[in-house]
Amino acid sequence: MADKTKNSGNPALRPALRKVLPLAAALLASVIPPAAAAAELNIPVLVPVTGFLALEGTSQRNGAVLALSDAPAGLKVESEVIDTGTAPEGAVTALERAAGRGTPTAVAASMLGTQMLAMLPLAEEYGVPLVTVSGTASITERGNPWVFRFFPGDGVTKTAHARYAVEELGKRRPAVIHQTTAYGQSGQAHLRDAFAKLGVEPVFEEGVDPGIRDMLPVLTKAMAANPDVLILHLHSGPTALFIRQAAAMGITVPIVAGSAMHQPSTAALLEPAELKGVCAESSASPVSGGTPELERFTADYRATFKTEPDAFALGQYDGIRMVLDAAAKGAETPEAIRDALAKSTYQGLAMTYRSDGRGNMAHSAVIVCYDGASRVPAVVKRYDTAAPP
Amino acid sequence: MIVAQLLVNGLALGAAYALVALGFVLVLNATGAVNFAQGDLVMAGGFLAVALAGSLPVPGIVLLPLVMGLMALLGLAVSLLAYLPLRNRPPVSVFISTIAVGIILQNGVILLFGPEPKAAPALFGATTVSLGGLVIPEQSIAVIAVAGLLILGQHWLFARTQLGRRLRATAQDPEMARACGIPVTAMIALTFAVGAALAGAAGLLLSNQFFVTPSSGAGLILKAYIAVTIGGWGSVAGAVTGALLIAAFEVVASATVSYSAATAALYLAVLVILTFRPQGLFGEAAGARA
Repeated sequence: MADKTKNSGNPALRPALRKVLPLAAALLASVIPPAAAAAELNIPVLVPVTGFLALEGTSQRNGAVLALSDAPAGLKVESEVIDTGTAPEGAVTALERAAGRGTPTAVAASMLGTQMLAMLPLAEEYGVPLVTVSGTASITERGNPWVFRFFPGDGVTKTAHARYAVEELGKRRPAVIHQTTAYGQSGQAHLRDAFAKLGVEPVFEEGVDPGIRDMLPVLTKAMAANPDVLILHLHSGPTALFIRQAAAMGITVPIVAGSAMHQPSTAALLEPAELKGVCAESSASPVSGGTPELERFTADYRATFKTEPDAFALGQYDGIRMVLDAAAKGAETPEAIRDALAKSTYQGLAMTYRSDGRGNMAHSAVIVCYDGASRVPAVVKRYDTAAPP
Repeated sequence: MIVAQLLVNGLALGAAYALVALGFVLVLNATGAVNFAQGDLVMAGGFLAVALAGSLPVPGIVLLPLVMGLMALLGLAVSLLAYLPLRNRPPVSVFISTIAVGIILQNGVILLFGPEPKAAPALFGATTVSLGGLVIPEQSIAVIAVAGLLILGQHWLFARTQLGRRLRATAQDPEMARACGIPVTAMIALTFAVGAALAGAAGLLLSNQFFVTPSSGAGLILKAYIAVTIGGWGSVAGAVTGALLIAAFEVVASATVSYSAATAALYLAVLVILTFRPQGLFGEAAGARA
């Protein structure tokens, strides 16, 4: 599936304006000497929009497309969206296909860790910066200078997760329920480390297969351990199932969920009353508002895609905007873009981005909580890890 | 008390799984081919219920016949496009064509509805019922009742009606059935329709409490396959029993040991059953095992 678009500045020109512009351009051309040609960028979007990661991949695509649709003046951007599916070879094929049309300036690359690992050697061979929101830790641990992650890793988010439960809620007996997938196990390992650093040991830990439908068994076992907080690190559907079942059982122990809870599509599965008192970690929560720029992003996203943005969309948006910002400042080749991403600091909508030397650009996380009256959470705490100098 | 609660939850889940396995085994018996799209038909039924609920804000029980009817039409289309043109080819052709149908359904649903998880309306209501200290979701009781009625209805159709006798004759020996004047092709297409209707019902029942996503069919086809293997390849009663057994491991066993251990125990039980009864608990009805 490919969706090819060409963007040069703002494409949303009204018909009347379209009639006037050629005339104005002709008039200007007659009085102004010819300017330098606009810098041409090729930034393909290679993300999974089908398969089990379609929800998150679609957010990633939307974030990248929105960023590209409003390129800074003077930049001419060519882009196409290619669905990578969820197989590693799908991502490799997509990158080869994109590179076959000329070396891309940068690539909005899949958030699926296995696909990123497969694309890394090829990116190094072609010399193409990969801009991603993948959470898989190992993609930035291979010494590959062409990968840049605009989403905090588990080391950042799970530390915030544990710190909020211990330091803000004052809880000392967490029960940790995580997914059995690579995502879930990575989160569990980081949660265990984070709790250990806080001098807390979970009273219960269990992995849940994503295909499991009834959460009553794990809820029963967790409550038998007498926890004072339930810590979730589950995918979207299982998170909603767990919270719904806990609400139905009248469980009053607070729940601090993983980042899947902040996704508006997860909250949409639950009644606001079921969400009362539930908190979650995330890198950002665009629907919660904040700065005028963030609110404009959310409004544009809603208008363009008829759905709500999440942190993946925002992270990918910020990543591509940093690429465009670097290009607008003169970085026109892939090497120049790589160097700019590696050495610059960029104030994005979600946070300030700066590489730690390995391509990890995001170092902040937030905690959001639901009040029981709406499905829009409020940001209650922000954790900023010191960005490298 | 909690054991009783778990049993009710397990029974509700098993009843819905039984509908999935039942649709799977009906097509298996009629064609000798494994319909790998059965899980995705369940998923499609769930999304169809979500779509209908968007324009018809009525309880799920009102939507149920509509969903089953439309899914039956989809089942007919699957038989016409993915089975009948390949019926004289090696069985692997049908396996691949049904896998392709599943992929088309998944991607079609993503295009039409987006990738987000959705919830269909409850059959009657979303409240809970207190029974002697048990807190049972009304939906669980409704799922058990509706699935039970559908299973009994399917049994009545196949055992007590002339149409059912024709369907069974086609499943047992198509050549002899054709020699007796039974329209075998129509019977096979009808079996696909019944299987898809049951899948649609399962989709509606499951997608209220447990939500539905475009990729949720893959897990369901695996459960149906295991249920039919446990119960006996092609055995209708075996498929239902196998589905209930899977739900028991998923809900009841996992309340005492971890989910991983419960899953391992389920597969160990499958191995033990196949070692001592290779034909499954109820014996094989279908001749060839895929």
